[in-house]
Amino acid sequence: MSARPVPTNRLWWLGAGFGVWCSALVVLYALHAIGCAFAWSAGPLRLGLGLVLLGHLGVIGWMWRDVATASPDSGFGQTGTFLHTVVVWTLIAAFSATVLTLGPSLLLTICM
Amino acid sequence: MSASIDPPPQGSPALRLHRQLAAIWATGPGLQRLAAVNHSVVGLRFITTAFVFFAIGGVLGMLTRVQLATPDAGFMDPETYNQVFTMHGSMMLFLFAIPMVEGMAVYLTPKILGARDFAFPRLTAYGYWCYLFGGMILTGALIAGVAPNSGWFMYTPLSSNVYTPGINADVWLLGVTFVEISALTLAVEIVVSILKMRAPGMSLDRMPIFGWYILITALMMVVAFPPLILGSILLETERAFHLPFFDPTRGGDPLLWQHLFWLFGHPDVYIIFLPMAGVLSTIIPVFANRPLVGYRAIVVAIIALAFLSFGIWVHHMFTVGIPHLALAFFSAGSAIVAVPTAVQIFAWLATLAHGRPRWDVPMLYVFGFFFVFALGGLTGVMVAMVPFDWQAHDSYFVVAHLHYVVAGAFAFPMLAALYYWLPLLTGRMAVHRLSVPAFWLVFVGFNLTFFMMHLTGLLGMPRRIYTYFGHEGWIWLNLLSSVGGFIMTIGFGIVVIDLLAQLRYGRRVRRDPWRAATLEWAMPIPPAPYAFASIPHIGTRADRIALGELAPSLARGEGYLGFARNGWQETLGVHMTSGTPEQLIVLSRPTYLPLYTALATAAAVLAMLFQFYLLALAAALVTAGLFVLAGQGAGLARDYGPMPVGHGVSLPPHTEVAGAPPWWALIFALVADGTLFTSLVFGTLYLWISAPNWPPAAAPEPDLMLALVAVAALAVAASAARGSLRSLAAGGSARGWIALAILALVAAVAADAELIGGVAPHPREHALGATTAALLAYVALHAGIGLLFLVSNLLRLGAGFVSPRRLLDLRLTRLWLDYTVVVGAISLGLVLALPSLVAMLAARP
Repeated sequence: MSARPVPTNRLWWLGAGFGVWCSALVVLYALHAIGCAFAWSAGPLRLGLGLVLLGHLGVIGWMWRDVATASPDSGFGQTGTFLHTVVVWTLIAAFSATVLTLGPSLLLTICM
Repeated sequence: MSASIDPPPQGSPALRLHRQLAAIWATGPGLQRLAAVNHSVVGLRFITTAFVFFAIGGVLGMLTRVQLATPDAGFMDPETYNQVFTMHGSMMLFLFAIPMVEGMAVYLTPKILGARDFAFPRLTAYGYWCYLFGGMILTGALIAGVAPNSGWFMYTPLSSNVYTPGINADVWLLGVTFVEISALTLAVEIVVSILKMRAPGMSLDRMPIFGWYILITALMMVVAFPPLILGSILLETERAFHLPFFDPTRGGDPLLWQHLFWLFGHPDVYIIFLPMAGVLSTIIPVFANRPLVGYRAIVVAIIALAFLSFGIWVHHMFTVGIPHLALAFFSAGSAIVAVPTAVQIFAWLATLAHGRPRWDVPMLYVFGFFFVFALGGLTGVMVAMVPFDWQAHDSYFVVAHLHYVVAGAFAFPMLAALYYWLPLLTGRMAVHRLSVPAFWLVFVGFNLTFFMMHLTGLLGMPRRIYTYFGHEGWIWLNLLSSVGGFIMTIGFGIVVIDLLAQLRYGRRVRRDPWRAATLEWAMPIPPAPYAFASIPHIGTRADRIALGELAPSLARGEGYLGFARNGWQETLGVHMTSGTPEQLIVLSRPTYLPLYTALATAAAVLAMLFQFYLLALAAALVTAGLFVLAGQGAGLARDYGPMPVGHGVSLPPHTEVAGAPPWWALIFALVADGTLFTSLVFGTLYLWISAPNWPPAAAPEPDLMLALVAVAALAVAASAARGSLRSLAAGGSARGWIALAILALVAAVAADAELIGGVAPHPREHALGATTAALLAYVALHAGIGLLFLVSNLLRLGAGFVSPRRLLDLRLTRLWLDYTVVVGAISLGLVLALPSLVAMLAARP
């Protein structure tokens, strides 16, 4: 095997996109619960939720741009190409999941 | 120790090599079988035991169908019925499905990945004994008439000691938690083994898809089980010591149990499904005569499915009163989870469509899976929609759905796997005259039983009722369900007869009867305890291997480690991503220690069950002591340096490298531990924000100075652990640093105990005090375990198992104490913040 091994810590990237999705879900769920428990006004609460969502989408988008625009390091051989492809597609899937699962919900009645 | 590091000359005849390796790896006869740690032996035990519990659970299911076959049936009284349906669900999930997955993973994964065994054979055996003893406790309670009776998800307040005053619920909480220890230990072991112990050259992109499925499933188990373990501990402490975590009259909240349960419960569906999907992804290409379509897409889909399955636990709680906006997150997530599932389904269909499929018994069950899972998936999307779920919730529609998804999607691939891999175990093929009718009886019976339940559910029949009047329009549907149940049972009965007949009358086969291309078929049938006489080098995708040439070559010892050395059980450790060999792993031999440790654990559980708390504490300490004892003989007692492993490669033993399996095992164990801790923090904040009767009458007043002393002591201990490592690496003595760390941990435990003693409000009076005490107890427990690490370090330093080149013990201690200081700071910070959080509650509108 002439290719260099892909560093072990790169494996965390396999879960990075959906890790951000998890973070978005948890933060939105918690912020919504706190806002409703403390009777925050609907407008600021919805705005806060929207900003949290956009922030997370921004993070996934930034990660995607960072990974997808860089072609796989040829020194890592086929394993590097494989992991690169999988990471790019998990980021795309995580971005789509974040938009679809968390976006439209924010238009609903806030605390009913 | 004067053991040689040089292997005997290469090229030994296959038979002599077999005899040498068998002598090293074999489990002894008679009572020595109780000392077995080999993955083939323990894996088979898991599978066999799981089948026994499946049979018991199946009989319980049949009893419920007898009771419900006709209205006003007097076959069972309500209490017996409650125990029977609770145990049916609990057994099928906790004692059959999950252990069956584990058993298959234990038996097959090392073989498919080209390893001789798992990384921690003694842990495998301990996991099995825990499973067996936990299952026996639950089964014994059923025979004694004190089985759990609150439903398989044990909702509070029904399962609290107010409404379930006997030991029924305790049996579930303690017995199932005992079994979960097994699941968690195996999960950590599976993750580490897959990442570190594949055949050389098997980079991640060459790993058979089965390996990916099992890897992701085990990672899910690492994160999914801790919330339920925490929930069970909290509910048991509520029942035993009256700490009101779930009692709304004292600041607790029953919904906290539901959150903790379903944080485990929903991913558990996928924990059961994904390995079976791995089975399908392995079997379908073999019978389609072409490689699997969409390998990369499937890997992406598995990862997506694993994460999404954690984010939809609330869809089991749509009717509890959560605001619509929050429900919508989980409804959308529940619908979108169908996408990665569909990716796999279409990949399998494409594989079949582009191949030249041939029919055999496993493929019949694959067809059964497609039919059943499609129906279950469709109803899954239906109940993911909140308005529909409000109508169908807690009705037989949900019973039908869950059986289609969990039972059907598990049972059919499992039977496909059984028929596919049984020739590997027995060397014989199934008897078709029995296999085919058995399939059709199971298939028709299954659909007749559970399809009718959709209709009874839509007609309004609620779950868990023990009888009905007869005017509701449910009579014929229930009768048909019961008839279907009996047909299905006859089918399973014929499957059992078929398996027994196969052992005696099945046609004998040679290696690789299905013309497969994965490594488990490149070994003698049945497999030898060492699996591979020598370990292959993988130069292509490991599910496309030409076994005809490889298998005899491996048997002749032409791969890696094709020799016996020092009586060691040797296998190879590789780089996680590339599969480059990097260490020689020496595994532990058969020992009774796992059995003794599991017996001590069982004693602790039983003493808890019968409220002998001092005895339980003593048994728990014995268990901890046995774990320390187990560590004493682990590893190698001197430095060896690189040793030849074949093919001109020399590797250091695992005791002399940084990334040894125990290091990674502790990292993943801490991931599980951290998930439990996060769940505890979540529980504290959840009660703060949602539970009734907050704020409490007595305000919390934690002692700032004591808290600071505790954190500082933990920090000193962590620093001392680093000092010990530095000192030994530089050739100095580590004992002084270890003694300092011990003193610091004792101080931390003392300060923590003082804080627990002063918790206000009293932990029995209000959930605030209870959660505060739980946070502090968590820190004290970790400091206590840190003491065990340090004691073990001293003992192993004295015995020569630790040296400047063999620093693994001290590195593990450092990692544990680093974790302890971090969670200690967070816990104590939260405890100190609680007065302000409570004051915020008092000020809210």
